[in-house]
Amino acid sequence: MAARVVPATGLAGEGASVAKAFRNGLKGITGHLEPAERELLRGLLDDVISMLEPAEQANEDPLAALIGLDLNVTEPGDRALKRLLPNVMKDDGDASLEFRQLTERSLRETKIGALRAAALDLDRDELVLTEAGAGHWSMALNDVRLVLAERLDIQDEEDANHVHQMQDWSQAEDVESYLALVYNFTTWLQESLMQAMLETLERP
Amino acid sequence: MTLSVALGPDTQESTRTGTETTTDVLNAPDVPWNLVIWNDPVNLMSYVSYVFQSYFGYSESKANKHMLEVHKKGRSIIAHGSREQVERHAVAMHGFGLWATVEKSDGGKGGSGDGTGRGRGKRG
Repeated sequence: MAARVVPATGLAGEGASVAKAFRNGLKGITGHLEPAERELLRGLLDDVISMLEPAEQANEDPLAALIGLDLNVTEPGDRALKRLLPNVMKDDGDASLEFRQLTERSLRETKIGALRAAALDLDRDELVLTEAGAGHWSMALNDVRLVLAERLDIQDEEDANHVHQMQDWSQAEDVESYLALVYNFTTWLQESLMQAMLETLERP
Repeated sequence: MTLSVALGPDTQESTRTGTETTTDVLNAPDVPWNLVIWNDPVNLMSYVSYVFQSYFGYSESKANKHMLEVHKKGRSIIAHGSREQVERHAVAMHGFGLWATVEKSDGGKGGSGDGTGRGRGKRG
């Protein structure tokens, strides 16, 4: 698991180390993102949405589609997609596939719903999140990070620490370093959101 | 979730030995399934704790205890229940992006024999 992220930086990098993207206040959870940050996020959200959108199927049984059943579903070949839609049993591929037929379609729809909701929020001038909206944002950012992490081949804590070293946008020289910076940006964003969301939880 | 046939008519019953069937019947009423959360290097500790608190209604300390168990031991049994119950939770966890599986409870020992270290938790 990834620990709390320090130092915190937005795209702006230097001078922004104490900046918070999200904070919990009187109006609820509010966020501040620069236009370039919004643009970047929009692209990432769209990418993950297109990964999750199921291919149009010819001759699909409309009743099966209606109840969310998908008998043609297979275990994803793409590692990132498999991380988003994992097997439900560790050592039983058949049972996992059977479960997938019953649940994967609605799981994809749940994820796409959260990603679309976050993308819509980005079109507003002011980012003020409802409780449900904050939930969508946290799920969407998490799925974006899971996909980026697979592209960066983050397999263990050591890999994660290595990627975390990349904090300076002037270091972005190739696709991998750029992806690492984008990953760190989304991590910082999600951590900031989680701290705000944890504050809103009712304490006994 | 309509997958489970834990106690229902079992079309494969004839292939089982009498002993296995008896064991199933004995175990079944004792809510014999676990929901397991696996460690991964991506999910934030704060996020995992938030999900445990908001979805399961766990206290902050209970949520953090499970979160740290996932982090340090590679996995944690976060809930028990009937197969339908833990499967429903598993889909919810997948919705959150947590890496969850369900497994039959190992006679109350928690089935922890598989989680010998975080290295075992690598995806593949």
